[in-house]
Amino acid sequence: MKFVDEYRDAELGRAVAGEILATVEPGRHYKLMEVCGGHTHSIYRYGVDDLLPENVELVHGPGCPVCVIPMGRLDDAISLAHQPNVIFTCFGDMLRVPGSHGTLLDAKAEGADVRMVYSPLDALRIARENPDRDVIFFAIGFETTAPSTALTLKRARADGIKNFFCMCNHVMILPPLRALLESPDLRLDGFIGPGHVCTVVGARPFEFIPVDYNKPIVIAGFEPLDLLQAIQMILLQLKEGRCEVENQYARVVPNDGNLRALEVMSEVFALRPHFEWRGLGFISQSALKLSDDYADFDAELRYSVPGVRVADPKACQCGEVLKGVIKPWECKVFGSACTPEHAIGTCMVSPEGACAAYYNFGRFAREREVV
Amino acid sequence: MELDAAPAHCITCSDEGLPMRVLVLADESGLAICADESGADQSVAIDLLESVAVGDDILVHAGVAIAHMGRCRA
Repeated sequence: MKFVDEYRDAELGRAVAGEILATVEPGRHYKLMEVCGGHTHSIYRYGVDDLLPENVELVHGPGCPVCVIPMGRLDDAISLAHQPNVIFTCFGDMLRVPGSHGTLLDAKAEGADVRMVYSPLDALRIARENPDRDVIFFAIGFETTAPSTALTLKRARADGIKNFFCMCNHVMILPPLRALLESPDLRLDGFIGPGHVCTVVGARPFEFIPVDYNKPIVIAGFEPLDLLQAIQMILLQLKEGRCEVENQYARVVPNDGNLRALEVMSEVFALRPHFEWRGLGFISQSALKLSDDYADFDAELRYSVPGVRVADPKACQCGEVLKGVIKPWECKVFGSACTPEHAIGTCMVSPEGACAAYYNFGRFAREREVV
Repeated sequence: MELDAAPAHCITCSDEGLPMRVLVLADESGLAICADESGADQSVAIDLLESVAVGDDILVHAGVAIAHMGRCRA
């Protein structure tokens, strides 16, 4: 497919890897964070890290929306799913993400009507087909999926649909990045910027990273050549003493983002004063709720939810993984008590989660190294 | 760098952009028919893009197109 196949060319990949090798300074260690879970998935899937010199280390960031959802929100979701006359809809494996007393899949087994959808528009269709029941959509995701939820709610209102509701967990990527940059735990040399978030918000909002924190950031696409080129661009900035926002993913990302999507989001959503992120704690103005104008569609106003904060299981180190403080395989339960089939932490559930991505792809390369 | 059998998008949260090509423009429901990388047809809302034409390559998140591919050069 155009704009895809040419970015998976192995020969070109090896050529860019050679340029990276020529750019790095021997004796210097480079620590770069890929912010987006989609990048983490691509890095392990294509073995991008195998092509990098040993002194270039990739650190996984907080950009997997499932991974950052705290257990208390899952408990709230399960409570809504158990309400009589409710059809609860959510994305795929969200069914398997553990709350403190089980998963949505467990709730389904206990009789709750829980259904998997690919798009919020699918949930709206279910609402149209079931006018006598309340249909709740569990909305998660960064600025990439928030426009889909916003558009769906606009359509619901335009069509006069009264039985569709949204439990909004949409989060934004910039506040946790700022929190990470303020963290004393982590020393980073640069960032691989989240390409698809930038299709919506544009490249400009990331300028605080070089301006306030003196770190380079390169917005990158998701194919292996995109990632290799972005890494090379960051290393070149460091070598030349530059520090700026660069856009490797210019074939898709405009500097100003998608103005229509931003407009729809600003109409439907309002900022939450604060929101809890797994592993990062409460971050102010980092998440979205439905605006007053759309309050009639807010599942948390329609039904009461427990809203109880729940601590992560003691064995789980998702927080440290999400902050890039430890690698997935350094977690005490990685690959033993915690696997994709029986996940303890969220990072092992989502394919974009660093633990699942590493478990599915990266561990084989490491096993070869150990042998 | 061959594709394997792993899912091309995140089935947990749908939070991954899928490149698609527009085959048929939106009907009364506002949904266009698009082909994904494997050639399979999918319904996609294109309300958030300006001037979409048949044959355009677009980026789709959770059933909604959020960007054109190959149209902008920063």
